[in-house]
Amino acid sequence: MKEFGYERPAHPTDALAMIAGVAGARFLGGGTNLVDLMKLGVETPAVLIDVTALPYDFVTDDADGGLRVGSGTRNSDLAAHLAVRRRYPALAQAVLAGASGQLRNMATVGGNLLQRTRCPYFQDVTKPCNKRVPDSGCPARDGEHHNLAILGGSDLCIATNPSDMAVALAAFDAVVFVEEPAGPRAVPIADFYRLPADEPQRETTLEPGALITAVALPALPWAANSRYRKARERASYSFAIGSVAVALDVADGMVRDVRIALGAVAPIPWRAYRAEQSLRGQPATEVAFREAADAELEWAQPLRDNRYKVPLVRNLMVRTLIELVQAS
Amino acid sequence: MTDPYSLTVNGTDHQVVDAWLGESLLYVLRERLGLPGSKAGCEQGECGSCSVIVDGSLECACLILAAAAVGCDITTVEGLQPGRGDFTTVQEAFIAEGAVQCGFCTPGLVVALTDLLARVPHPSDLEVREAISGNLCRCTGYGRILAAAQAAAKAASDE
Amino acid sequence: MSDIATTHATKGTIGENASRPDGGPKVRGEFAFSGDLWADGMLWGRTLRSPHPAARIIAIDIAAALRIPGVHAVVTAADLPASVNYGLEWRDQPVFATDVVRYVGEPVAAVAADHPEAARQACEAIDVQYEPQVPLLDPAEAAAAPPIHPDGNVFRQLTIRTGDPSARGPIVVEGAYEVGMQDQAFMGPEAGLAIPADDGGIDLIVSTQWLHNDRLQVAECLGLAPEKVRLSLGGVGGAFGAREDVSLQIHACLLAQRTARPIKIVYSREESFLGHVHRHPARIWMRHSAEADGRLVSFEARILLDGGAYRSSSYHVVANATCFSAGPYKVENALAEGIGVRTNNPPCGAMRGFGAVQVCFAHEAQMDKLAEACGVDPVEIRLRNALATGDRLLTGQVIEGTLPVARVIREAAALPLPPSPEIADPMTRPGGAGRTADAAHVRRGIGFAVGFKNLMYAEGYMDGSAARCRLSDGLATVTCAAAEVGQGFVTLAQQIARTVLGVEDVLLAPADTSIGSAGSSSASRQTWMSGGAVEKACQAVRAALLQHVADRHGIDPAQLTITDGRVTSTDARDSIDLAVADAAPGVVFEEEVEYHHRITHPLDDDGQGDAHVSLVCAAHRAVVDVDPDLGLIRVVQVATAQDVGRALNPLQVLGQIEGGIAQGLGLATMEELTLRNGRILNPSFTDYLIPTALDMPEVLATLVEEPEPGAPFGAKGVGEPPTISSTPAIVAALRAATGKALNRVPVRPQDIALGDGE
Repeated sequence: MKEFGYERPAHPTDALAMIAGVAGARFLGGGTNLVDLMKLGVETPAVLIDVTALPYDFVTDDADGGLRVGSGTRNSDLAAHLAVRRRYPALAQAVLAGASGQLRNMATVGGNLLQRTRCPYFQDVTKPCNKRVPDSGCPARDGEHHNLAILGGSDLCIATNPSDMAVALAAFDAVVFVEEPAGPRAVPIADFYRLPADEPQRETTLEPGALITAVALPALPWAANSRYRKARERASYSFAIGSVAVALDVADGMVRDVRIALGAVAPIPWRAYRAEQSLRGQPATEVAFREAADAELEWAQPLRDNRYKVPLVRNLMVRTLIELVQAS
Repeated sequence: MTDPYSLTVNGTDHQVVDAWLGESLLYVLRERLGLPGSKAGCEQGECGSCSVIVDGSLECACLILAAAAVGCDITTVEGLQPGRGDFTTVQEAFIAEGAVQCGFCTPGLVVALTDLLARVPHPSDLEVREAISGNLCRCTGYGRILAAAQAAAKAASDE
Repeated sequence: MSDIATTHATKGTIGENASRPDGGPKVRGEFAFSGDLWADGMLWGRTLRSPHPAARIIAIDIAAALRIPGVHAVVTAADLPASVNYGLEWRDQPVFATDVVRYVGEPVAAVAADHPEAARQACEAIDVQYEPQVPLLDPAEAAAAPPIHPDGNVFRQLTIRTGDPSARGPIVVEGAYEVGMQDQAFMGPEAGLAIPADDGGIDLIVSTQWLHNDRLQVAECLGLAPEKVRLSLGGVGGAFGAREDVSLQIHACLLAQRTARPIKIVYSREESFLGHVHRHPARIWMRHSAEADGRLVSFEARILLDGGAYRSSSYHVVANATCFSAGPYKVENALAEGIGVRTNNPPCGAMRGFGAVQVCFAHEAQMDKLAEACGVDPVEIRLRNALATGDRLLTGQVIEGTLPVARVIREAAALPLPPSPEIADPMTRPGGAGRTADAAHVRRGIGFAVGFKNLMYAEGYMDGSAARCRLSDGLATVTCAAAEVGQGFVTLAQQIARTVLGVEDVLLAPADTSIGSAGSSSASRQTWMSGGAVEKACQAVRAALLQHVADRHGIDPAQLTITDGRVTSTDARDSIDLAVADAAPGVVFEEEVEYHHRITHPLDDDGQGDAHVSLVCAAHRAVVDVDPDLGLIRVVQVATAQDVGRALNPLQVLGQIEGGIAQGLGLATMEELTLRNGRILNPSFTDYLIPTALDMPEVLATLVEEPEPGAPFGAKGVGEPPTISSTPAIVAALRAATGKALNRVPVRPQDIALGDGE
């Protein structure tokens, strides 16, 4: 681990002042990802600004009927929160499906949003990786990619976003509140993450020095009929090989509205807009669900060893939609 | 080197001097405070052998920067207090049920199950499995550990 | 009489569930593992390893590393005072690479510094110029490829030929199988503390499976007489074969010698994955022919094991894989060819099951194919072919001990099945904590498998173990260098001493090299070998005690016995009835013995010979639920019956069975070191998955007790059988649930149903 400095401000203004203009300064939340990556030499911050003393550990009701979650809220508290479990069950399920009890007790919502990929080449500093070292190359396309992207990748990068939580947030159109040098900003989650394109090192649209303060879950009464499903290689404590967050509003056998987001298939939590579009106003039948899944997945560009994700994610979507119809 | 700082571990304040900022709480506990009960199995939060209780919350000491734990109340396996005798009910159950083999994962599991039983006095088998799925064990296949968890829950309720 | 027996019955003897003597310290976090050690003035050692699978070393520049504050020494091959090579059975492995590196992770240099971070920086600052070469990575090409080592590329080629291998029954089944590279993945990484001694020697406290073999290799490389190298066992956090080979021992001692300071080395998890041997990946072809009723007529096998860059125990893994390739079945006509080769992949060696695991996966798949081809039930076809005492192995050896193959099959098959998936708790469906599967899509499968292997070393190896027993006023002290790696030998040693001597207070002296070798804690051998040594030492002390009492009373010692903790006479007229503790006040009895098993013999050119001491078998029945649409697996139950000879501590036996099944489940469904260009891509517990508590099934176990003649107390080693046939039983169940061939382990989600996408 490289030498670094450490600060623990109590006030957001101090935190922003500390990070402003300091090259290599990083905010530290629960540390479950950043500290690990520092040990691996993947992350080499010059200064860590510990934000866990900031007043961001809260879950409150928003006036519009939504929910606001402070960025310092621990994952386990988020998953256990009654309003989250009742009104956005897929979010509670997604958080609980991630990591272990110990790590959920440590990890914060803000940190979870900024989790880095588990691509083996990103984690290994002796290997090229365009995300870690721009223009160094990407061995994944011809190498080990069984858990890398089938959607949204670029020639330079096919890393997947590892977060479970963010998949549910994507389905619920969450809004991320940030403080940036230029002032506060509300970033819809659809605009929060960037596809790699030709700059895989840039994963979000945040300005340098941005501080995530909260995440808002907009009011969505039928989000109570939502579900997160995760497939993985062992029963717990492992990253997804495919996951889906679905919310379904169905009436008289017709799909009034639907939200679908996919995990472990793309460099970002992948909102399945095409699938959603093909379903709205359609009968809530397995046939329609299959067509919807296909509408999304026909854009998939699987590689040699990750083709299985196409049928896996299709089946996850169809299964979950059927289950939500039955639950309605 | 960092400025000296103080950690509250098992109810006692410990001064940490001449430390390096990159040292994890686990390293400081083991190498500076003479508390090697928490084990370094992976140092990446993946095995649970370093499980400690920080302000009432079960966490992996390996991913906590020691300097960030200033002001926290830290309990390690060395700080678990038996109600009577030499062992807590969880420790007693581990011995009686054959849950110990090499023992490397044992302190972390003892801490994790102590935490679980404090929150959920009568966990189902599945609740126990979930609660300890962040604690890897390579020797036992978990069977005797699960038996120990139930035995400890029963012993605690019998008391 | 009966009153006395009841009152004074010695507790914690053979057959009881005695508690571990190290259990208390372990649950309180007070047990000192080798990584917990600390010494005044101690420095931290660290190893620099090769990033290339094959390269020439052009130059090594350590100047920059030495300039880093806190760095006390940097050593390379040039600093070795004597032998530059080491190796478990054959010294073919450089302590530090000199002119070439042969695998990713091969040690190139080591440093000592006053803080682990300074040591890390120093390793980073060592400038090694490599000239990468084209690596030899495909084991199938190794035998014919130009040698990558002066000793050549073939570790061993073994052909076993018996009867008429061209004989054919009417039913023929054939298949090709593959086993990925599994890791022992013990929880406590390699660690040790080397302390330079005033006499120019060195004291090393280390986690190992075999103190004396380590000592010999350290002494050779440091140019010291073996008695100047004193090893003692640091607390061992699991082993499973991975600590048979030397890892940091020589590096730590060399640095201690160089710096005249204690050196502590603790591997990180990543370095642990790089720094120990793994289970040999295998490619296996088999062809069985049988009569219409399923009785085997002929067996052919070709087994290719990738041994990686250095020999380790490959020579004997090849022997085991080949000798036991047909499984515990009678077959008169056979040709089995095993080969283990050198490549530029990571070195492979001992892991629980030692060659038998790989071939069991293949022969059990074949037996199921045969059952199907013959229209016979899988359990029945195994019963029809089951080996038994008096039968001959492929090697021609007649089985003289117990081998209750048919009985373990029947007992395992008779255990109750779990409730059907429809009524099982929905929370326990495939997908674990994700609750991912739903009942309508779950398919259940049941699979059965049987495995066997030998106990102890083979082929004429002169195996032995030394033990010392001291008895004084009822307190027994047992000394033995057997490495306690978690298996519970310390418990058994106490139970044996209590049983023989009739005392309850039994102290275990630390395991170290002050006594003769106990051999390795491997090959399921310590219960027999060191258990035998402890029994023999205690018997000698018991005889001396009885002689003493007899002399005092002027009677024949043959009339005396120890029963329930008391010395009594078989002749009622003697009226001797003394507690052992009071039988010889102030007298110290001490005896040291060596124990050996019966002699075995090498295999001849046709692979024939009386090579094995004893055999052990087990059967496993696995029940799995599979959600094929999602590639999800849940192992619901594993039922097993195991040949244990005699259960000396049933609770510890159960622990070995459950733990072994967990490792078998891991190989079946998740565990594999992924290699690309010779490099391990998943050297972490995030990416190398081992089963969690949520992955483990219910385990039902029946202990089949048929005492083994010649074995101390009739007991057989119990550690390995649970890992041998649990893997094929689980995969057979997966085949039953999915209809897929599944010829490779681990079985991945994509193998279950999601094959090619679309």
